Amino acid sequence: MSAELAGVLTLSLRVAAVATLLVALPAAFAGYALARWRFPGKRLLSALVGLPLVLPPTAVGFLLLRLLAIDGPLGRETLGFDLALLLTWKAAALAACVMSLPLVARTARVAFEAVDPRLEAMARTLGHGPLATLRMVTLPLAARGLIAALILGFTRALGEFGATVIVAGNIPGRTQTLASAIFAAQQTGDSGQAAALIAVSLAVGLVAIWAAEALAPRPHGGVGR
Amino acid sequence: MSLEVDLRLALDGFELRVAFRADRPVTGVFGASGAGKTSLIESIAGLRRDAAGAIRLDGEVWLDTAAGRRLPPQERGVGWVAQDGLLFPHLDVRANLLAGARRARAAGADPERLLAEATEMLALGELLHRRAGTLSGGERRRVAVGRALCSAPRLLLLDEPLASLDLPLRRRLLPLLARLRSPTSPPALLVSHDPIEVQALCDELIVLQRGRVVARGEPHAVLADPRVFPLAREEGFENVLRGRLVAHRGATSSVRLGAGEGVELSTPPIDAAVGDEVLIGLPASEIVLATRRPEGLSARNVLPATIEALPALGEPGPVSVRLAPELPPLGVEVVETTPERMGLERGGRIYLVIKATSCRPYAAGRGTPAPPSPGTGS
Repeated sequence: MSAELAGVLTLSLRVAAVATLLVALPAAFAGYALARWRFPGKRLLSALVGLPLVLPPTAVGFLLLRLLAIDGPLGRETLGFDLALLLTWKAAALAACVMSLPLVARTARVAFEAVDPRLEAMARTLGHGPLATLRMVTLPLAARGLIAALILGFTRALGEFGATVIVAGNIPGRTQTLASAIFAAQQTGDSGQAAALIAVSLAVGLVAIWAAEALAPRPHGGVGR
Repeated sequence: MSLEVDLRLALDGFELRVAFRADRPVTGVFGASGAGKTSLIESIAGLRRDAAGAIRLDGEVWLDTAAGRRLPPQERGVGWVAQDGLLFPHLDVRANLLAGARRARAAGADPERLLAEATEMLALGELLHRRAGTLSGGERRRVAVGRALCSAPRLLLLDEPLASLDLPLRRRLLPLLARLRSPTSPPALLVSHDPIEVQALCDELIVLQRGRVVARGEPHAVLADPRVFPLAREEGFENVLRGRLVAHRGATSSVRLGAGEGVELSTPPIDAAVGDEVLIGLPASEIVLATRRPEGLSARNVLPATIEALPALGEPGPVSVRLAPELPPLGVEVVETTPERMGLERGGRIYLVIKATSCRPYAAGRGTPAPPSPGTGS
């Protein structure tokens, strides 16, 4: 593997890993709320969480760009300091995070829904409060599904292109990920490089899908062996 | 113990509306499926947020919607045994049993001691390290009862502990559950549609029909009530009596019912030791009535009794008879016209003819009471 290819892969993995870390808590929380709570605005939350799935990624990228632009809500003029995210790998991670949110939240929701709420009720009658019940019953029983959700989020982040290229650009060695490098190789007619990049993507994707399948929630509580 | 319940709860198509005070060690709530029994239990456990009214245990307010009070389930201290066991599938049996250990400690009990007691009482020794998901139906029920006991509850809530198990298994498990009647066990509320279960376990019975209390009293007497008996008969009515095994006589065993001299009953051989307390089921449809002492019968048991109650003329219902003043009444199923044809009268003498093979002993099996010795468990 050439040094250039290795650099692209490392950057892609770093962007996807950070995006996954960023998305984990909000997505798990949204998934739990959607699975377990009844509250006003639940449909709105569900729609918001799902939005990046139906919008063109470039539209999401453009909105993020407006958010982070100098005069945007998170820009230098509003905050008084510069987050300095645009055109860096951090912007790529943020874009990937937003784009993988729907997938992670939905999979987490399914994982939580697969836990029998009567088991949680049982824990309550045995003297455990809501948090202790979450720790003792809900999280262990949803664990496989939650890990699968994170793996799916990771793969989605790895393949992100449309939003990333708008906020982070396609700068070789700085913000060029597998997806944007394939695009660049195709644009310059370097089909050898494109093939190598695709082979690497294929390998990473296969491993991730295999892991997610192995961990997917099973019927009947998701802990069968 | 005194549990006061005054509850209103909208159910599917009718309203559960019950008011009662339970102060016996084991109170039963009997009713067909769909009568509101499980909803009642879940309301007492604090799991139904739509339950309205008042619930108090020994004066402590668990629910008082008028005063806006609702104690959350984790502060009520109940031992809920759900119908399907509801074991935690990701834990082994021991961890399941100790799931309420923190509460037990807070209540001043030693969880390890409770665990040892429950393990012996319910014969759980060989199961302790199995995963909950690998247990059979009967094993799950036993562990569910054990888990409730190990949490040192102030009140046990038993929801059909033996429902949907096959008859041989119920015969073996019932004597284990009957140990819940020991003075060291917490008071219990048991809901069931099984007449056998409620006779064997309960001191008092409340009958629930479409959300209302329609009868209450001593279990055997309540079940013989013409309003209740049709419910009981659907399940194949069996009189269940407590007795003591007094002798093994080869092809039969002898069981003494009641205290002192009492009444001696020949039964099929029972797998228990002489002196053990046993439960005997006498199916209401297999008892024959005779106005004079019959002779030359193959039936081993011919027992004099007094007629306690007769069904109203032409109404289906059991003839209720009593073997001795200290024994509960027995229901005897007869054709509607039989009391008139035989000239039966309330208070009259009658003979019960019961084949030994019609008696159904409930026995856990010898050796079950003792925990397995080290080395035999696998």
